[in-house]
Amino acid sequence: MKSNPWIWAVWALVILSYVVPFTMLDKVQSWHGSFLYWTVTGVLVVVANLLLTKDFGEDEA
Amino acid sequence: MSTSLIWWSVAIYLAIAVVIAFISRDGKSAESMSGYFLGGRQMNGILSALSYSATTYSAFMMVGLAGLTYKGGVGALGFEIVYFAGVSLVAIFGPRFWSVGKKFGYVTPSEMLGHRYQSKAVSVTAALASCLFLIPYAAVQLTGVGYLMSGMTDGAISFSTAVLLATVMALFFCYIAGIRSVVWTDSLQAVMMIVVSTLVALLVISELGGFDGLFTTLEQNNANSLSVPGSGLFSFWTFLGLTIPWFFFSLSNPQVSQRLFMPSSLKSLRQMLMGFLVFGLIYTLVSVMWGFSAIVAFPDLAKADMATPALLASDMVPPVLAVIVMIGIMAAAISTIDSIMLTLSSMVSRDVYAVVKPEASEKQQLNVGKIVIPVIAVMAYVFAKLQLSLIAVLSVAASSGLVVVVPAMIGAFFWRKGTAAGALASMLGSGLLVIVIYATGGKLLGFSAGIWGLPVATLLFVGVSLLTKAPKQVADDFIEQANSTSMSKKSQSASASKPAVV
Repeated sequence: MKSNPWIWAVWALVILSYVVPFTMLDKVQSWHGSFLYWTVTGVLVVVANLLLTKDFGEDEA
Repeated sequence: MSTSLIWWSVAIYLAIAVVIAFISRDGKSAESMSGYFLGGRQMNGILSALSYSATTYSAFMMVGLAGLTYKGGVGALGFEIVYFAGVSLVAIFGPRFWSVGKKFGYVTPSEMLGHRYQSKAVSVTAALASCLFLIPYAAVQLTGVGYLMSGMTDGAISFSTAVLLATVMALFFCYIAGIRSVVWTDSLQAVMMIVVSTLVALLVISELGGFDGLFTTLEQNNANSLSVPGSGLFSFWTFLGLTIPWFFFSLSNPQVSQRLFMPSSLKSLRQMLMGFLVFGLIYTLVSVMWGFSAIVAFPDLAKADMATPALLASDMVPPVLAVIVMIGIMAAAISTIDSIMLTLSSMVSRDVYAVVKPEASEKQQLNVGKIVIPVIAVMAYVFAKLQLSLIAVLSVAASSGLVVVVPAMIGAFFWRKGTAAGALASMLGSGLLVIVIYATGGKLLGFSAGIWGLPVATLLFVGVSLLTKAPKQVADDFIEQANSTSMSKKSQSASASKPAVV
């Protein structure tokens, strides 16, 4: 199984989930701060997995 | 809320679940180890997705995560989203687990490790470590049910009664048809969990002035709850310590990693993953919104874990809906506990009993597994009766302990030089360290067990492996098989062959 480049998108989202809310959004006390950021991250994780697994099942007998 | 309404609702739910469990029975497949514990490796994608969701998401979400949001604010969402992103590990490891499982006939993840590293001690250690950490984890689910039912009825249904009821139901769902009845009842429970909790969350939010009204009130009265570190609970290091073990949950927790052996095809595996992710994102947001709603509606609760029961017992939620949510949360706990009980019993019979008694037949192993199920149930019940404090923190303690198998698990698929000695040193050394840290106040040199566990396990695995000799032939065969689900169009005949020989 070769590696799929979309996995790097997931790792980037994970790292940014630590960095952004604790540095850039720590003073934004509103729904459009960390709440929105992490929610959008969740949606992007779903999209990344959709792309990561799009070839699953093509190789079955 | 009337106690009779609650009891009637529980009875109706139980009746439906029992009917579904009986319908799920398939006499033939429940007679072998892989039939009873893996559904004959023939699970379809949608059922797998619902069951994976119900198993992963437990009373922790609607009680614990809502409580954590109540106490620490939006950091609870971040914590859960990091876990959520970690489920992407299924996209990497899922096809590999699936492929080697079919080829070598593994029933449990610890059996897989034992074969890969050619060591019975590895499979026994991984199995026992899972029991050590997962029984308390199952217990916190029971505690969640206890808090919820006693909280909502003002003690008319006692904590003990609720815990006993949940234990008996979990036991029952395991026994009817093994994993088949668990998967089917899980699916019913998953649908209930997501539909009713979302419905009631929307209702509560509209009562509190809609999305805008809720967040405006939070911004005015509890602005700290909308950022991290916020009120201080989610300092960066606490956040890191909580999230590291949960990021690896899909690999470290055998009740979910065992699921990777079950889908009938890679297409089903994909459906399982994607279905879970959609479910998980909705359920996470709903649970966090519950916590925020409780901050606004009940700012002075004595215990954060009471946030959800307080909301459900309030005038904002019609009693019938509140009871349905309560059943949904109870279902969430039970669907987690029964899978844990089933997985642990498969590990004890396959990785401990079959090692102690190598001549034991499949049927004898299965019988031992069935005897172990109630033993695990009783142990979880006793832990739950101890009523330990914050549910979320306890669950994380279990995850910190389970994460010690992760380096050996990753190494099995990606590092040919990994050895049994390395795997053993890693699991035992870091497992012991995690226990010592929790036993001595929860921190070592200022850092929590969640931060220490994984790096120490990795160092021990790599260091000791480099000093010992790897089982080259098995490593080659195993990794070649794991990688055989390549993206090429080449057809692959994955036959369920003989059981793994260690």
